[in-house]
Amino acid sequence: MKALAGLRVIDLTQAMAAPFCTMNLADMGADVIKVEPPTGEDMRRGSASKNGHSGTFLTINRSKRGITLDLKQPAGVEIMHRLVKTADVFVQNYRPGAATRLGVGYETLAALNPRLIYCSISGFGATGPYAGRGGYDLIAQGMSGIISVTGDEDGPPAKAGVPLSDLAAGLFGAYGILCALEHRERTSEGQLVDTSLLEAAMALTVWEATEYWVTGRAPRPLGSAHRLAAPYQALRASDGWFTVGANNDKLFESFCRVIDRPDLAADPRFAGVRERMRHRDTLIAEIERTTAKETRAHWLARLDGAGVPAGPINTYPEALADPHALARDMIVDLVHPGAGPIKALGVPVKLSGTPGAVDRPAPLLGQDNAAVLTELGYTEAEQRTLKANGVI
Amino acid sequence: MSDRPRALQGLRVLDQTQVMAGPFCAMLLADMGADVIKIEPPGGEATRGMDLELAPGVSAPFLAVNRNKRGLVLDLKRSEGVAILKRLVATADVLVENYRPGVARRLGVDYDTLAAINPRLIYCSISGFGQTGPYAGRGGYDLIAQGMSGIMSATGSEGGAPVKVGVPITDLGAGLFGVFGILCAVRARHVTGRGQLVDTSLFEAGLALSAWEATEYWYTGQVPRGLGTAHRLNAPYQAFCASDGHFTVGAANDNLFPRFCALLGLDHLVHDPRFDSVAHRLQNRAALEPLIEAVTVRHPRAHWLAKCEEAGVPAGPIYSVPEALDDPHARARGMVQELAHAQVGRVKGLGNPVKMSRTPPVMARTAPAPGEDTEAILRELGLGDDEIAGLRAKRVIA
Repeated sequence: MKALAGLRVIDLTQAMAAPFCTMNLADMGADVIKVEPPTGEDMRRGSASKNGHSGTFLTINRSKRGITLDLKQPAGVEIMHRLVKTADVFVQNYRPGAATRLGVGYETLAALNPRLIYCSISGFGATGPYAGRGGYDLIAQGMSGIISVTGDEDGPPAKAGVPLSDLAAGLFGAYGILCALEHRERTSEGQLVDTSLLEAAMALTVWEATEYWVTGRAPRPLGSAHRLAAPYQALRASDGWFTVGANNDKLFESFCRVIDRPDLAADPRFAGVRERMRHRDTLIAEIERTTAKETRAHWLARLDGAGVPAGPINTYPEALADPHALARDMIVDLVHPGAGPIKALGVPVKLSGTPGAVDRPAPLLGQDNAAVLTELGYTEAEQRTLKANGVI
Repeated sequence: MSDRPRALQGLRVLDQTQVMAGPFCAMLLADMGADVIKIEPPGGEATRGMDLELAPGVSAPFLAVNRNKRGLVLDLKRSEGVAILKRLVATADVLVENYRPGVARRLGVDYDTLAAINPRLIYCSISGFGQTGPYAGRGGYDLIAQGMSGIMSATGSEGGAPVKVGVPITDLGAGLFGVFGILCAVRARHVTGRGQLVDTSLFEAGLALSAWEATEYWYTGQVPRGLGTAHRLNAPYQAFCASDGHFTVGAANDNLFPRFCALLGLDHLVHDPRFDSVAHRLQNRAALEPLIEAVTVRHPRAHWLAKCEEAGVPAGPIYSVPEALDDPHARARGMVQELAHAQVGRVKGLGNPVKMSRTPPVMARTAPAPGEDTEAILRELGLGDDEIAGLRAKRVIA
């Protein structure tokens, strides 16, 4: 059994944040039904495709079933309403207002199914002055302050290389949904769960907001360095860079032993975290005088032996072939009927009793139309009519 | 607010965590009404000694990830301390720890031991690399995980010194995946009646957040690189330079690109064969960017942001953290909260990003002082005055 077996989720989502939310629920065993317009969601036409199947779509829609439904036709809305009556959770990521226009707003669906948990993931949330604006990860990274703290100290703006506001909004959405399910367990009441890319990104600025509130200064980008501890950053070796986190006194002493620089451990300028932060530039210059003489592999082997946290800066080909990533089942092989053998990322949280798994690739367009409509009680003749009318 | 029901009320969580990933995970449960008991060693956890002090011994980073929790100081290196923990475990639903794998076993508070006491216990371990696999025993920090998961290789600009994501994304991501795993296990427990081990890590969180980058590599064979602010699979979607600084625009799809071109007065680009589809715009980004920027540098950011809003093209400023926290929308969504603190008056904190119509997250209290709730918690366990005084005298509790 998977943890969320028996939970039915209607997924009326596009792009990344909300599909990532429902993908995580699907990996844990929820019956996620992805509902797309008859032409398929835009993501199906994204780049990075294999045999005409978009990799981005396949990546974040695995483990789901898929149906098509034209919500601009009353018959399509009618099917959606019947589906909602059988569902526990409904997830959408339209701009606020659009769902209501399509007849799938919270009030309408909650009236049909008071137990429904309705999750809305948008750029800015359903209320507040920017509620109506469209929002993307980039915009949220900029407005949350994340771009202002990422990159070289004096370089051009850089965002987090991964779309972290999208991904975090998806995860916060899943968290809200599961919390709402606990409330429903006690009361039978569903509710509205409302989160956004901007809020998710802001919730990730815990250290940075704290720094500002305490010091009154705007946190700056620091390359790879930590804002409150040193040495904790990428260091130069003879053949590239590696990372070291030797931020407390014990690890700093071990680190100095590994690089054979007892003078640094004894230097009063580097005694204690605060002193090391104050003299970080000098400290790193001194450290790199030594680390630049040997290779990354040389230092990583020694640091590992001494228990000092350190690691390579992997490219994705390296990260995705790393023996530990493989041992933790983070790389999964799937066979897609159109794209053929494909790879997917695994489930990052391991449950001993009810483990999640990636069991099936993303659905083909309308792949499960017949199965889902039959479950809802539509006869074959009715399904033929719906198809002829372009409803499904 | 306080009489509203809370989604996780009645859920008791023992929080044996330090620094960021674990405390953030437990804090998200506390925001939703779980009774989270933060268990610290005598002297308090390491984060209490971190920089950014608000008062002697009151560190702001500690307050930032430990709000809404109760505080208990317990010496787990003493058998009496472990005995109290076991009594607490018998009353708990969830335990969260983020020791290096192996440490919990040495302390006698590992999953197998505690599950024997309470088979309904959900035990969540958040570590650098997870409880199994070749690197299980290594210490891991956000920086190490950002480097090893590939995230650093895809952040910053090509050719420069390595850059990490400015916020500790693998810590926070692991905390979020931990919460997700715990809540999935809580749900499974309604059916099975049994708890289980939930095991996640910074490294795996980093990989799981690399969905686009892994896809790019697997489907195109190209190695994802740092692209500054640009998107790896869409264009234009990046920061552009105005006369007074940068602003962001996402106008990548075929619906938004023409609108963006129109407001720039560059309508002819829409039908330019180099830019007439997402794939072509992506391929010719290096040519597209200067054409757009030649126009954007002529006016200030405010001009372009107003035009984009009018045309419905997603765009925004690049705020500093102070500007982000002061933004009227962030304020309207409750993203800045204030809590009373006995020593330092009022303390600001970030709000919970998830709004719930029936069971909204509540900001009930700031982080506990060391051992603030020790006595109350031990009394709930049925310990009497003499026992508590005895344990205190022996410094098992504080």
